Formats: sequence, C-alpha cells, structure tokens
Amino acid sequence: MTKLKFRSTPHLWFALAVFLPIRLWAQFAASGTTTVSVTVGPEAAIQINTTTTTLTAASVFSNYTGTTNFSYKVRTSQTSGAAHIQLEVTTDFSPTGGPSVGTPPTAGDALSYTCSVSSPATSCSGSQTSSTASTTSVATFGAGASSAVAGNSGSVGWTLTNDPTYQTGAYSATVTFTISAT
Amino acid sequence: MASKIKVCRIAALLVPIASLAQTSATTTQTLSAQISPIGKVSIPATVSLLSGSTFSAYTGTLLVSQRVRTTSSGSASITVTGSAEFTPAGGPTIASGALSYTCGSATLGTACSGAQTMSTSTQTPVLIVGSSACTGGGGACSSTDPNTVSLSFTLTNSPAYKTGSFSAHLTLVISAT
Repeated sequence: MTKLKFRSTPHLWFALAVFLPIRLWAQFAASGTTTVSVTVGPEAAIQINTTTTTLTAASVFSNYTGTTNFSYKVRTSQTSGAAHIQLEVTTDFSPTGGPSVGTPPTAGDALSYTCSVSSPATSCSGSQTSSTASTTSVATFGAGASSAVAGNSGSVGWTLTNDPTYQTGAYSATVTFTISAT
Repeated sequence: MASKIKVCRIAALLVPIASLAQTSATTTQTLSAQISPIGKVSIPATVSLLSGSTFSAYTGTLLVSQRVRTTSSGSASITVTGSAEFTPAGGPTIASGALSYTCGSATLGTACSGAQTMSTSTQTPVLIVGSSACTGGGGACSSTDPNTVSLSFTLTNSPAYKTGSFSAHLTLVISAT
C-alpha cells in the first residue's frame, strides 16, 4: 500500500511563483467568451391617458357620467403570479356643499364605475362603488400574464349621482390608480 | 631523479595557463527573432444586465482588454457574435434583435460607432486597430498595457418575456495582420 504525500517545499513555492502569473496571463487569447445574464422579474406600470375626466349630465337630473382611459403594461410570474389594477378616491370632492364620496349628503349618493380592460385582464364585474377609505378593483391578472410591448388599454366609466341637494358650482376629486404584479 | 621531479612541477604549472589562453578566444553568434503580428483578448466571464426602473431596458457594461501588434501594412480587429442564444426559452432572444451595444472610447484604435445590433449569425464590429500599432511600452506603441474598450449592452424589456433568469454567450474574436 503506497501512500503519496505532498509536502510544502521551497520547490513547490518556486513553481507557483513562476507559473501562476503565466496562467493568469493566459487569460489573453485569440478569442474570449462571456456569459450575458439577466433576471426578468414581474413588473407592472400604468399610464392615465385622460388627465382630467369631466363628468356631465345628459339630461335634467340624470346622473353625471364620464370616462377615464388608461394604458397598462404587465408581466406576472409563471407559477403563482398575479396582478391587480385598483383605484381609490385619494382626495374627496371639493369645495364642500357638492358631491362627496366619503360623506355623501344623501344616503345612496355615490361615485360608481364600470370597467373595460383588454385581455389578458379580467375586468371588474358590474358596478363598483368608489371609496376614500380603501382601494377597489378595476382588473385582475393571473399567472404568466403579459401585455403588449406598447401596452394594453383600459377604461373606467364613471357615474356620479345627481342629487338636487348639491350646491351649484364646479367640484373636483382626485382618483389614484395603482397597478401591482407578483 | 631530482631533475625529473622539477620537470613534472613545471608541466603542472603550464597546463592551467594554456587552458586560460583558450577561453579568451572570441566568437560571434547571430540571434534572430521573427516578430509577427498578434492579437489577444481578455474579457470577464460574466456580465449582468439590470433594469433601473419598471419596464426600462436592461443594461450592463463589458470591459474588453486586448494586446495587439500589427505590421507596417497590417491591421487588427475585434468582432463579437452571439455564440449561444438566451436560454431557457421564453425570455429575450438575440435573434430578435433585442440585444444591442455601443462601444466606449478605446485606448488603442477606433471603437465601433453608433448602436450595433448583436447577431447570432454574423460578427459585428467592436474595434479596429491600424498599421504599425502595438500595445504597451510607450514610444511607437501605446503607453497602456493592456489596451481596453468597453461595450455597453442594452436589452429590451418586453412584457412578453417570461419571468426568470436567462443567459446567453457572446464570443469576441481578435485578428491581426
């Protein structure tokens, strides 16, 4: 039974000192190859195309209506990913005396909306009542969903109660749309 | 008998002297070297592409080091090609033209100009070095050793890409005459 033993000797250190730089220098060659790597993660972005949405009444005491258009880009992960578009009234109507999402002058007054969002989204179903206290759904996406490179389109159709108790004047509120993806 | 011993001692002294006389003889030897054009390149093993914001393109930089020598009528060039497509499938592809690059300033020679689209089938330019050029040493050669040129990559960030990690191989080739 023969055992080979390696010992640290001056000869070994000399060999390392001589040949190690040569090996490093050998990185230079007539060609070289590199690996380009990228990690693609879930992403989502939204762009509101209707900066100001004006709500108008088509006839006497009919509800005020209007449409907000938007574009979105989305990519969800393949296995358990999902994405959501939501909105929230982040600033209630002002000045006071008119419509209000947070404290409507009459029970039943509301700023409601319907959704129309292109595939691969699933638009919100029926009429949704907006809120100043929480987000409400506009669209949802499942795993492995992706939009077009230029983005996909969507819209929210608004309906605001036309309550005779509203004082005359112009009123405005701010609605914030949010998209998120996993 | 005594005189014989003397002769032997004298002979012993003369031998080394004669030997010294031979080492003082002169000779010439011709040393010749064939200096050929050559080029060698060195690049990092990996380059990572990152996105700065949502759906912005993935970017990254590759520093290319090279040593080169060209003849009085020669030149050298570095080219790059996509030697292996991004894998796994479902992500970006070189063949679609999603990967492009620009060249930074070179310490020797002229770097590529404008945006270049990476290809898996054809070599695209990185650097051209003119005649009578050499790396390092100063004087007629460049003062830097090795010479360098940087490549700034841009990879489109398409929503259609599946999530995950993807990698491709790029091969840089240098030639000199």
